[in-house]
Amino acid sequence: MSRQAGRGTESKKMYWYLPFISPSASMHLMNSELFTLTYGALVTQLCKDYENDEDVNKQLDKMGYNIGVRLIEDFLARSNVGRCHDFRETADVIAKIAFKMYLGITPSITNWSPGGDEFSLILENNPLVDFVELPDNHSTLIYSNLLCGVLRGALEMVQMAVDVKFVQDTLKGDSVTEIRMKFIRRIEDNLPAGEE
Amino acid sequence: MAVCVAVIAKENYPLYIRSVPTENELKFHYTVHTSLDVVDEKISAMGKALVDQRELYLGLLYPTEDYKVYGYVTNSKVKFVMVVDSSNTALRDNEIRSMFRKLHNSYTDIMCNPFYNPGDRIHSRAFDNMVNSMMMQVC
Repeated sequence: MSRQAGRGTESKKMYWYLPFISPSASMHLMNSELFTLTYGALVTQLCKDYENDEDVNKQLDKMGYNIGVRLIEDFLARSNVGRCHDFRETADVIAKIAFKMYLGITPSITNWSPGGDEFSLILENNPLVDFVELPDNHSTLIYSNLLCGVLRGALEMVQMAVDVKFVQDTLKGDSVTEIRMKFIRRIEDNLPAGEE
Repeated sequence: MAVCVAVIAKENYPLYIRSVPTENELKFHYTVHTSLDVVDEKISAMGKALVDQRELYLGLLYPTEDYKVYGYVTNSKVKFVMVVDSSNTALRDNEIRSMFRKLHNSYTDIMCNPFYNPGDRIHSRAFDNMVNSMMMQVC
């Protein structure tokens, strides 16, 4: 997508919230190009380190998971939403509040499965992939896989096990980016993970 | 409409050369190569003054009987060279400037692609599409 209109006039800014450490912490405006370039540098460095697209995808998912388990605290503190009663409410909160707060975009929710436990988030434009063109030797790389990890980690902290994956990606030639989220089960916190 | 577009790196090797029609490609490569001397001459002539007085657009480098060659150099010494057909007299200076500006913007977009290493040849589809739109339509 062309940035000719943006460059030279004023660059796109995104709202960047500091983690909620004190009541006086405030919102900053950050240049979205720095964010995009940082993420791009991260992905290319991972590609050089791992040499194999599958491993890079797994690493991005793990990193996203670690971000998600921490980000959910900040999100809940900042947004003051109450407990969601069903998966549909969860979907609304994710799309209209969480994505807007952290990435400045509002994806649309479509393709609900008949059982009400699967839906798709459609992102018209993904700020992580501005200027990016996937080279041919990385055709199986899921560039924005970090987002899947973040969603998975965040929902796990509120007792929901979900499966998140990309089904369409603008980098691979599709018209929109589509993320499919499937509710697996509610997590009962009887035993901490690992102590079976 | 341009007949040949070239992007030359700081060290004077080509990052991207595209010409249409595709026969006679070697002639255009040679033309672009010789035009680099003129570019260097213009840069050094203006370089005596302060750098920020120098404009990016260099203008007509030299005309021959078949075509005219225009040049543009960025502050990072990456040069854009464009060859246009002489018979196309309707092309005004403003249009050439805007074509160079489009090239510069697309080049900046490529630089922001994290998979592109500066100094590599340019293989971007978006850049190809933009150059296609500027090239002469050959039936």
